[in-house]
Order: sequence, then structure tokens, then C-alpha cells
Amino acid sequence: MNEPLLRIRDFTLTPVGAAKPAIEDFSLTLASGGTLILLGETGSGKGAVLRALAQPVSRSARASGTIQLRGHPEQPIRHMTAPGLRIAYLPGPHANVLNPHASVLSQLALIIARKLRQPKASARAELALALERLPGAPALEALDHPPALIAPEVLGAGLLAAAMAQTPDLLLADDPLGELSPAHARALASALKAEQKRLGFALLYSAARAEVANLLGGNLVVLRSGHIVEEGPASRLATAQSHAYTQTLFRAMSAGERQNPDRSAARGEPLLRVQGLQLTTRGKPTARAKLNFELRRGASLALIGEIGSGRRALARALLGLDPVAGGRIVFDQVDIGVLNATMMARLRRRVAFVTGDDDALDPRMTIFDTVAEPLRAHLAMPRDLVEHNRDAALKRVGLAASPGNRTVLSLSPFDRRRLQIARAIVSQPLLAVIDEPLRGLDAFAQSVVRDLLRNFRSNEGPALLVITSDFGLARAFCEEGFVFKDGQVVERGAIATLLHAPQDPHTRKLLDAVAALPVSVPEPLKPSVEAAPPVSEA
Amino acid sequence: MWRDWLLRAAQVIGSLLGALVLASLLATLSQPTHGFWPLLSVFCAKFMAALEGDFGRSAVTGARSMAAAVAAFPATLQLLTVGAVIALVIGIPLGIVLSASRALRAAAPLIEIIAAMPVFVAALALIWIAVRVLHWSDASQTSALSWTALVRSGGWNAAWQTFALPALTVGAAGAASVQLSLRRAAVRAWSAPYRNGLRMMGLGTLDIDLRYAVPEVIAALLRDAGEIALALISATAVAEWVFHRDGAAVLFLKSAAFGDWNVAAAVLFLFAIIKLVAEFLGLAASWLVAPDEGAA
Amino acid sequence: MSIVEGSGTKSRLRAAISAIGLAGVGLIAVVVAFGDVIARVPAGAVKVGPPSLPPQVVYAFGTDALGRDVMSETVHALTVTFSSAVLATIIAIVVGAIAGFAAVRAPLRLGIALRGIMGVFGSVPVLLLAVVAVGIAGHEFAPIAAGLAASPSIFNRSFDRAMRLARSRHAEYARATGIPASTLLRRDLVYEVRGNFLNVAGRALASTTIALATLGFLGFGATPPHADLGLMIAAARATYLDQWWPALFPALALILLILFARLAAALDEGEPP
Repeated sequence: MNEPLLRIRDFTLTPVGAAKPAIEDFSLTLASGGTLILLGETGSGKGAVLRALAQPVSRSARASGTIQLRGHPEQPIRHMTAPGLRIAYLPGPHANVLNPHASVLSQLALIIARKLRQPKASARAELALALERLPGAPALEALDHPPALIAPEVLGAGLLAAAMAQTPDLLLADDPLGELSPAHARALASALKAEQKRLGFALLYSAARAEVANLLGGNLVVLRSGHIVEEGPASRLATAQSHAYTQTLFRAMSAGERQNPDRSAARGEPLLRVQGLQLTTRGKPTARAKLNFELRRGASLALIGEIGSGRRALARALLGLDPVAGGRIVFDQVDIGVLNATMMARLRRRVAFVTGDDDALDPRMTIFDTVAEPLRAHLAMPRDLVEHNRDAALKRVGLAASPGNRTVLSLSPFDRRRLQIARAIVSQPLLAVIDEPLRGLDAFAQSVVRDLLRNFRSNEGPALLVITSDFGLARAFCEEGFVFKDGQVVERGAIATLLHAPQDPHTRKLLDAVAALPVSVPEPLKPSVEAAPPVSEA
Repeated sequence: MWRDWLLRAAQVIGSLLGALVLASLLATLSQPTHGFWPLLSVFCAKFMAALEGDFGRSAVTGARSMAAAVAAFPATLQLLTVGAVIALVIGIPLGIVLSASRALRAAAPLIEIIAAMPVFVAALALIWIAVRVLHWSDASQTSALSWTALVRSGGWNAAWQTFALPALTVGAAGAASVQLSLRRAAVRAWSAPYRNGLRMMGLGTLDIDLRYAVPEVIAALLRDAGEIALALISATAVAEWVFHRDGAAVLFLKSAAFGDWNVAAAVLFLFAIIKLVAEFLGLAASWLVAPDEGAA
Repeated sequence: MSIVEGSGTKSRLRAAISAIGLAGVGLIAVVVAFGDVIARVPAGAVKVGPPSLPPQVVYAFGTDALGRDVMSETVHALTVTFSSAVLATIIAIVVGAIAGFAAVRAPLRLGIALRGIMGVFGSVPVLLLAVVAVGIAGHEFAPIAAGLAASPSIFNRSFDRAMRLARSRHAEYARATGIPASTLLRRDLVYEVRGNFLNVAGRALASTTIALATLGFLGFGATPPHADLGLMIAAARATYLDQWWPALFPALALILLILFARLAAALDEGEPP
């Protein structure tokens, strides 16, 4: 059958209250079994296309354009009906599409039951069957909890299984891989491709990052501000882009991984010395060997692993936020085990956080107050000096033009990330904890945040503790790394060694997950930095 | 889960004991003493007696305080119950209508303008309308007889004319509290991101509302049962006074005025029990309606 | 947080409503301040005019059964009610809101014990608590009684909100970077005052006014000649079915005060308990 499954012509949508269209004169053709990736930043219009296909266009929005589904006449997209065509919607695990209080299993079973017009018991059986087909997928019972209590990769697998159970002709995927760790994203992408091959559905994927193109293949449409700027096979566009914007998107993706980290000269006494540290899991000591290492001033250490692997437990132990089963931690020549709460708080003044957690900043505070607070609280600076330092930090992160009395609540995740960096800059920390700083950001935002972090490190020179599941990020910022699994360090060493000669299978699995990049990418944004001698560890 | 419920039950028992302490402190005032230790001794004696349901005797009539309070309670409970029913009958539809659309939701706080009228002003206004507009009997507004006594003596019409206004006064005050609670919950439920998400995944609006949104709203209303009970008790106290009904609230007011603290303590304790029991039952019922959400 | 969710237009609408409320409360304050000038005669002055005169040009609000000028009496009663309500509101905010916030910073067991005690007081209606306080301490104590009676529910809301803030992720990150507890408390108080003071104060003023007026109506409030609006209405109750004016005008004054207080709070209906 040569007739395409889906053809959209000249689709334009202006949402209620919007001054300009979210998507304009958009056309696409999608064949059965084909894959089409809509790639663009936030506000590019990719979401509008997906939503228009997933549910009826709002009556108060202005929409024009036509849609033709296989076997049906062309019809206005506003009044789209698709009798006989099975369309499934696949969101990401962080998309908040499910009721936060109800069991995920119950909700997914209900959705399948309604779509397939079956009793709920049969729908559960279909879901179980679909889960079994996904390699490494969880048991059905693992989904019988509210969404917040389920790990993202488990939830992602459940959502995929629910979509597959509907045996769709067209799958609308709203970036389900976007916020997963590289390893889980790779696993889910493989499962998705395998199911696509088995069921023969067409896949329309909305992506914020170009890595998805490497994972899924197919055709790529690059969108910007509601317009198509370039389109073509993903394999071609990954290596040779015609449009400057597309080049910038792909360059932004690759810049971090290709650049070596700035190597500050390790100097002076160790900032952090750990002797015989035994971590705890749920309050109980873990059975394996104790940790010994040093982190010198200006050096960097990556704690690499999936969520729940124990990397954050180590970070919290190092900062004295959680008790340890045994061992000694010396921070800035002070044994933190003998400090009381007040003294520990004073010590923590030399620590800064930059995290991908959007709740890290107080939403009530203004931009000015957020940056000035450490200066007032820790350094008791006079007002004019506070304002000077505050303004300088905001200028460095590109927020100087934003009104200072804007609240954190009104900021985008990108702006909040930059604000965290500004707050870290004024803190002049000895140690900066960088915890998944790129989470939830699109390609451009990620490249900007990477550059700001590099700039922060080279100017302020703190030691870095980087918590990530992405070897690319670890490589960009760190010389040394620990790889975590199930609360244990399974491998450690120089990042270069971990990258080129991993010993542990889990390390290899994490490395495999980082999408391999094509060789011929246009000139890098910055020249490479000379590698400094590796940092020695105790 | 059972641990949560045991904790809540412990909280209720703790609150009841706290209410008993409060009532005992009040009852201590009926026995004037000088000095801290004598006062503490009297308090301890009162508390121990109160644990057995003994709040001493009335300083005015000499009768057992708890017996006097319990004797006056049926009339209050009658008014409270009917008022609660009216509150739900008026408040629930009002809350639903006012949360139905954005325009109505935006206009809803204007209900506050009507709610700016204190209960006693509303009661007097109702009496004026009943007597001057509906030509009801003036004397009927001050009868202290119970509903059954009114029916026996004056018939259904007299009973209706006498009982309607106090019930409506209490009901209207309760309805304001009910519709507020319902609207808060409805706005939260209607604007939750999961409604759009589930629609995109293929569920119909009716499915989503009936299975998730409506139970959440009802559960939130049930969780506010304690606050609604407080509003009803307060309105009942005023209504009994305005309409001269001999209930526990009037007994409390008279006891407080005459310094008959044993009786006041007994009545106060009984009111606290009503509020705490309503709160606990509301929590339990909300869990039954929406077990996934859990109580607040 | 208001049920009218904040967007640009709605925030401006709420600001306008709040401005109207503040203007209204301000106007009442001016009337109260110049009450002795606006009222032609001192409080309680009898036989000012013929008894039971309906509203007319000379006596705009009419006269009551004792020949008192209802307008003068209303102004004097409004003065008593308003000043009592302001005092009660200050007490409710200090003992309720500020103490509730500060209690979270106390040692945990003490904070929870305080919350429990306030929870017990909160299980009794504000009116009945106020009646007990007045019965023990006397009628002069009515404003303080109303303020103290209203404070448990305000305390509980503030405590619960402060506890949520103290356990929030942003507070945890702040503590992890050495931000002291005093800075976090100051942060909370500044932002709560900035964001919510008008709401809390407006709602507290409305509820203490209702409590005080009801106390007065029940006979537990101010005593003559310093009658408040509630007592005025109670006094007019015997004859109001025929002579509505001695009851209507004080009732309107009372409703306006409560209404303006609620408007000043931008019709905020408070967070759910």
C-alpha cells in the first residue's frame, strides 16, 4: 500500500490569547512504518502539531489546514475524525499526564480498556503481555503505585507498553526519551524500534534534543518559531546540515562531548579527604569495601550512575547531610564528624549547588534576592557591594536584562538554571555540587548552561562534584570518576581510563548509552583546552 | 496505611483529651482558690472526675452539669442536623455551579459579599421578611418548643413557620462553608494537568471527571467536615439565641453569663466532641471515596 | 492563595478589589477618627429628638424609642466596633500568624506540642471561646478575647504553611549551603508579609468584627453608654419589625465594615486547612 498513512497540509494554529501562530503553514507526509522526528526548542511548534493530532483543537483557537488519513478524504484539521485509525499517545515519564494520586497500573488499564473497548481485566492482561515483550521491562505489579513512587525508566516502560497494547497505526511520541538517562533512553529507544518493526506503526516523535535522531533514525524535520527550517533523513542531517540553525542545533549537542574539561591546576591541600567511608542504604551499612579518596582544591570528581545507584547518597554523606556507618570525612581540614549543627552550617557556606531540580530555588524570591542572599547571610557585605556583586553575577549568566523583581516562579527552567549559577558565583564556593544541571533543557539551553558552568569553574575555581548519569557530562567537567550501581562503587579512575578501557560491565553499559557522534561536525564553538596532569588520589 | 490510621485515631484521642483538659480548666473556675498549687490540685480533681463524665454540679440549679447539658442537647442536635442537611442541599449545587466555568469561578468570590452578613443579622432579616412579606405569625418566631411539640400543639403549618427560619439561618451559614470547600477542591481538580494528559492518552472527559476529579472533590469536602461543623455549631448558637430556642448553646451562653462554669465546661466539651468526631468521620469517609489520594 | 488564579489580568483585578477594600476601610477609619464631629451628640444622649421618628431630613437615620439620634449612635457604635476590631486583629496576627511561623523554628517537640494545643482550641468555635474569655475576664476584655479566640485557627494555618516551607526542597538546598535558620525565617516572614499580609489582616479584621459584633449582640460585648453595633442591633430587636431604622443602619455599617475588610483581602478565601 503506497498511500501515506498521514498527510498534513498547510497547518496553522494560533492558540487562545497568543499574538502569533504556534505553528504556521506546516505540512508533512508520513508513511506506515515510517518515523518522523520533529526537532526543535521550546516554542518551535512541535508540541502544537502533536497535540492537534492527539485531541481536537480547542474551539477558541484559530486553526486552518487539512489532514488526510489513509482511506479517508481530506478534511479540515480542526474537525479531524479518524474512524478505524488507531492513534496512541506516548508521553514522557516526567510529563505529569497521569493522576498523581491514582495507581499507574489502574490508569493505564483504563486507557487501554477504553481504546480497545474491552473490560478492564482484559486490558490489564493486554498491558501485561505488552510489558513482557519489552526487554528488561518491569513486572506489572511495579506499576501499581502512584507515578511519583515509580522510577522514571519503569514508568517510561509502562507508558510504552500501554501504547503498544493499543496496537496503534500511528504513535504520537511526546519526547518520552528526553529526560531519561542515556542508558535508559537507549534501552527504551531499542524497545520502541523493535515494537515498531513488529507492529508496523508510523511514529511521529517530538524531540528537544538531536540525540534522538541518532537513536531512532527515520526522517527529521527541524522547526523554529513555528516554521520548518530544514528536513531530510536523520542520518544525512546528523552529518551534513544545510541551514545555519540546524548546524547550531547539532553543534550544541556535540560541543560538550567533544571538548575536554578545563583542567585547573590542582593546588594546595586536599579539600576533601575521605578515609574508610562506609555508606548506608536505608540506614544500614552496605556490605562492600570502604571508600578512600581525596579531592584537591580546584579538582573535580564525577559520581556517575542511574537514579538510586548511590551517587547522591555519597554526595550527601560528604556534605554531612546524612549519617554514615563508619569512616572519616575531612572537609577543608576539619573533621565533620565532630562538628555540631551550627558549626556544620558554617562549613557549608563554602558549598554551592547547581542542580536540575527546578524546586531548588524559593519560588517566592525575586531574582535580586536569590543572588544577594548568600552575600548578605554569609559575608555581611554593605549594601552597595552586595548590589555590585549581584549585578556582576547576573550579567555573567545573561540575566541582567530581566527585571530584578521578577519572581523565581515566573522564570523558565533555563532561567532558573542560570540563576542558580549566578547564586553559586557570588558564593565564591570551595566546592560546587553539580547535580544533573542539564535535565529538562533543550539543546541550546544545554549548551549555554555548559558554557556558563565552564566559565564559573575557570573564574571561581571551585572543586567540582558532578552527579550525573551521562558520561558525556562527566567527561566535559571531570578528571576523575566513580561509577555507581546498587549503592556501591563498581569502578573508579580517571575519566579517560573509564572511557577507553572500562572494566566493569555496568560502566560499559553506561558508556554504550551515550550516542556515538558522527565524525564530521562543523568547526567547534571553542578551541580545545590543554589537558592538565591527572589528579592523584589517596 | 494502618499505621496512618492508627496515628490519626491517636490524634483524635489526643484532641479529645485536650478538649477534656480545656473543659476541666474551665470547670476549675467554679471553685475559686488562691495560689498555684491549690489551683493545680482543684484542676487535677476536676480532670479526673471529667474522665468519668462528672463535671460537677450547676452553681445555679444544683443539677449535675453533664446531665443538664445532655438534656439540652437534643434540641441543638435537631437544629444542627437540619441545618447541616440544608447546608449540603444549598452548598453543594452552589459550589458546583460556581466552579463550572472560568467566568463563574472568577465571579464566585463575590459570594463573600453575601457572606459578609453576620449570622444574627441574617436571622433578623429572615424574621422581618417572614413577618412583613410572608405574613407569618410574629409569635411563632420565638417559640422554644421542639418540632414534635409544635406539630402536636399547632399543626404542621405552625411547626414549619417556627422551625424553618432557625434551620434556614444555620443552613445558610453552613452552605457558605460547604460551597467554599467545594469550590477550592473543584478549582484544584479542574485545573490539574492530568486532565489534559489523560484526554490526550484517550480517556473521555466524563471518564476522567467521574473517576478522578469528582472523587477528589468529594474527598476534599469530607476532609473539611470539621471546619464545616465549626461553622454550623457557631451558627446554631446564634440561631438558638435569636429564635429563643432552649438548646445547649443557649444553656452555654447563660452559664457563661452567670459564671456557672461547670455547666459551661460540660457543654463546651460536648461541642468539641461533635467537631472532632465530624473531622475524623470526614477523614475516614474521604479515604473511602478517594483511597488513592489519602487524607490530608 | 485566592481561588481566582493569578494571571496578569486577574492579578490587576485583585489589586483593584484590594484597593477598593483598603479605601473603604480607610474611609471608615476617617469616620471613626472624626466621629465626635460627625455625630452631633455624645453617645447615649437621650431625647435628642422626638422618639421613634423615621429617617428624614433633620434626622437622616431617624430616632429610636428613647429619642436618640440613630446616626450619632451608629457613628459612636462604629467607633467602638472598629477600634475593638483593630485591636483584636493585631492580637490575632501576633499570636496567630507570627507565632505560628516562629513555632516551626522552635525545637520540634515544642512546636508540635504548641500546634496540638492550638488544635484543641481550634476545635471550639471562635464565638464560644470568646464568650468564655469575656465571661472570665469581663466585658472590657472583649476585644482581647475576640483576638485571642480568632488566633488558634490563624496559628494553625501559619504553622502548617511554615512547616511546609521548612520541609520544602528549596529550604533543604538553602540549609545545605549554610544559609542560617534566622535568614530562612526572615525570608519566610518577609515574603509572607509581602505576599499575604493584606490577605491575612483583611480576613482577620473581618472575622474579629463578626465575633465582636456577635458578642455585643449576645450581651457579652461593650456596655452602654459605649455600645457597639451588635448591642445597638440587639436593643432595636424588640421594635424593629415596625421601626426598622434603629436596626437597619447599624446593620449596614457592620456589613460595610466586614465587606471592605474582605475586599481589602482581595476576596482571598484562604488556603484550605
